[in-house]
Amino acid sequence: MSWTQLNLAVATPEIFLLVAALIVLLSDIFLNERNKSIAYGLTLAALAGTAYLLLQSAGQSPRPGFNGMFIADPLSQAAKFGMVIGVALMLVYGRSYARLRGIFRGELFALSLFALLGMMVMASGANFVTLYIGLELLSLSLYALVAMQRNNVHATEAAMKYFVLGALASGLLLYGMSMVYGATGALDIPTISQRITVHGANNLLAIFGLVFIVTGIGFKLGAVPFHMWVPDVYDGAPTLLTQLIGSAPKLAAFAFTFRLLAEALAGYKPDWSSMLTILAVLSLVVGNVAAIAQTRLKRMLAYSTISHMGFLLLGFMAGTRDGYAASFFYAMSYMLTAAASFGMIMLLSGKDFEADQIADFKGLAKRDPWFAAMMLIVMFSMAGIPVFVGFFAKFAVLKAVISTGAIWLAVLAVACSLIGAFYYLRVVKVMYFDEPENQAPIAAAPDSRILLSVNCLLLLLLGLLPDRLLTVLTEAVQRSMLP
Amino acid sequence: MLSLTHYLGLGAVLFSISVFGIFMNRKNLIVMLMAIELMLLAVNMNFVAFSQFMGDLHGQIFVFFILTVAAAESAIGLAILVVLFRNLRSVEVEQLDSLKG
Amino acid sequence: MTLALFYLFAAILVLAALRVVTARNPVHAALSLVLCFFTAAMLWMLIKAEFLAISLVLIYVGAVMVLFLFVVMMLDINFESLRKGFWRFFPVAGTVAAIMLGEMLLVLTSRYANLSAARLPEPAAGFNSAKALGKLLYTEYFLPFQLAAVLLLVGMIAAIALTHRQRKNTKFQDPADQVAVKAADRVVVLKMEAEKPAHAETDTTHTGEKA
Repeated sequence: MSWTQLNLAVATPEIFLLVAALIVLLSDIFLNERNKSIAYGLTLAALAGTAYLLLQSAGQSPRPGFNGMFIADPLSQAAKFGMVIGVALMLVYGRSYARLRGIFRGELFALSLFALLGMMVMASGANFVTLYIGLELLSLSLYALVAMQRNNVHATEAAMKYFVLGALASGLLLYGMSMVYGATGALDIPTISQRITVHGANNLLAIFGLVFIVTGIGFKLGAVPFHMWVPDVYDGAPTLLTQLIGSAPKLAAFAFTFRLLAEALAGYKPDWSSMLTILAVLSLVVGNVAAIAQTRLKRMLAYSTISHMGFLLLGFMAGTRDGYAASFFYAMSYMLTAAASFGMIMLLSGKDFEADQIADFKGLAKRDPWFAAMMLIVMFSMAGIPVFVGFFAKFAVLKAVISTGAIWLAVLAVACSLIGAFYYLRVVKVMYFDEPENQAPIAAAPDSRILLSVNCLLLLLLGLLPDRLLTVLTEAVQRSMLP
Repeated sequence: MLSLTHYLGLGAVLFSISVFGIFMNRKNLIVMLMAIELMLLAVNMNFVAFSQFMGDLHGQIFVFFILTVAAAESAIGLAILVVLFRNLRSVEVEQLDSLKG
Repeated sequence: MTLALFYLFAAILVLAALRVVTARNPVHAALSLVLCFFTAAMLWMLIKAEFLAISLVLIYVGAVMVLFLFVVMMLDINFESLRKGFWRFFPVAGTVAAIMLGEMLLVLTSRYANLSAARLPEPAAGFNSAKALGKLLYTEYFLPFQLAAVLLLVGMIAAIALTHRQRKNTKFQDPADQVAVKAADRVVVLKMEAEKPAHAETDTTHTGEKA
């Protein structure tokens, strides 16, 4: 083994991000309370640099590195680009929100960057060890971030719940990995895949492990029946961090699931496909039905996340190239939609005031017609109403499901979306037909206003022209699948 | 003769005890964290046993990483616990109900 | 012989693990967990995984459990109220765990799993597990190794960010300031007459320390 064999160049964006995160961390020491904006600017610059480096490597064929521990393929690069956008949106939307709550600190920036690094490693891990370390890097940063607002009882409670359930999920995942290791004698994903399909592994042991892996993934994604942490964490965490948890990590979870199920355990597709079907059906039903009963917007969005994860799993369950691509498209569009929805909550929130009740959106159309229209786009997109991106995401998933012959699943998914449309439209109704309780104009920084508008209009634009993105993602999946 | 089944069986027992512990100590967060450590011990037991019986060192490397992560994880878990305790003056999970909605 | 030792250690391990999850006092639970890790290390020694056995004791007993004990003792916990209704969950928890254990053992001992045939391979002469692991860790596992370092850094940042409380009135030394001090700042040597003239104003009050 020599230094050049490591092929460090494949991880240029990650290495840059790590160095930048350390610089942000160090710069924080020399900055006093008033100059935190410098650290903030450095953080955004780090994200821009990472995005630039990712674009540089776009379109290249899969390149392994670090002795097979790491792989930079089109799927991971596209997912990483989405994650960088997700984290950047969180930082821009949440700037004044964080400042008002005393968490506009160096730790926020550094831990967000480390969480992003974890996500990127999750997307590119080609070995169980790398995948696990990436997952933990993400999770540990998120646990700490949720608890950052130390005097907030809700936030620390949410952090504790998140921690306990997250650690439990990691334990289950690891138990599953240990069984797969025992069955195949390898930790390396291409080798595992090969041993299962070509040489024949200890099937009983591998499927036994698979059950634990699927359970662990279910916990991490927040799929029913492993969803109990989602509403509490989404609701309790400061909205800034709800946005972080609810947006970019979904892309990481998609890539992680792709690596584990579609690549390593591809030989057991019929087995995991049926397990995922159960999770998907339960998530769709429970998520949509429970969301109706919510009066708090953040809890409603939490249950809606559960139902969206059901859709994501549905695309996965199809187990075809188009299925994965549909899931990927779904994750990408959901990342943008979720970021916009939590961004809206932060836009309306002020000091000591959280716009996290549905009632807080009453009469928004009279207070600020522009942002009411933006929120309308977000809600319509989530509900899956045509011409918005959410519709095409659902449509792509349903097409993949129907192509496998599971018509009943598609019908059920459509029925659940119709139930879901009810509570999204309720928010729209409240905004347009109720009298405002609060007449104060919206006070938000121009950068977050502009970016939020762009984000929402993007949901409309991607809905009008979904083919371009879908083609790119399908091609990425196509070129990243193991031969 | 000592076999792989012995170790995996022991791992399964530890794993079940840990799940039992998590269920039983829903009120006591510290013991809950300890139960999670037990779960990781069960996983490590599996990895070490597989690794030694298959004569493949990679499993042991994984154990090494799990140990490292577990150390960082418990540090963060205990830090959150301390913050929570300062807020609630208690470590009972049952008092964690301000989020029920 | 090794089988007898295995059963002895396994019995201690299982009892200690049960003690961890049912102990009345978290300190006892923590100490039982220490016993668990020691016996687990012994069990790993039995299958010649000596390096990990030692690491387990060093990392867990030396660091993690000390942290646990520290937190248990630092927080003023009302153990009595924690115990109230403890056995209330027993029927559910016991059933779930028992069913789970039964199923897991059924799978692991089944003929199809075909596990009991595996024999411990004899290590080659002069095999050194620490050396072999080290070689793997620093070559093949270079990336996870670096990332593990980042992970520990995250743990450190998080623990400090969450629990560190700034005190406003802290008295501290500033080494840079101390080093930068010159002799002239500290002592002023004045030349003066042995006997001061009775009429002149004296100027000796300025000999005090400046710093």
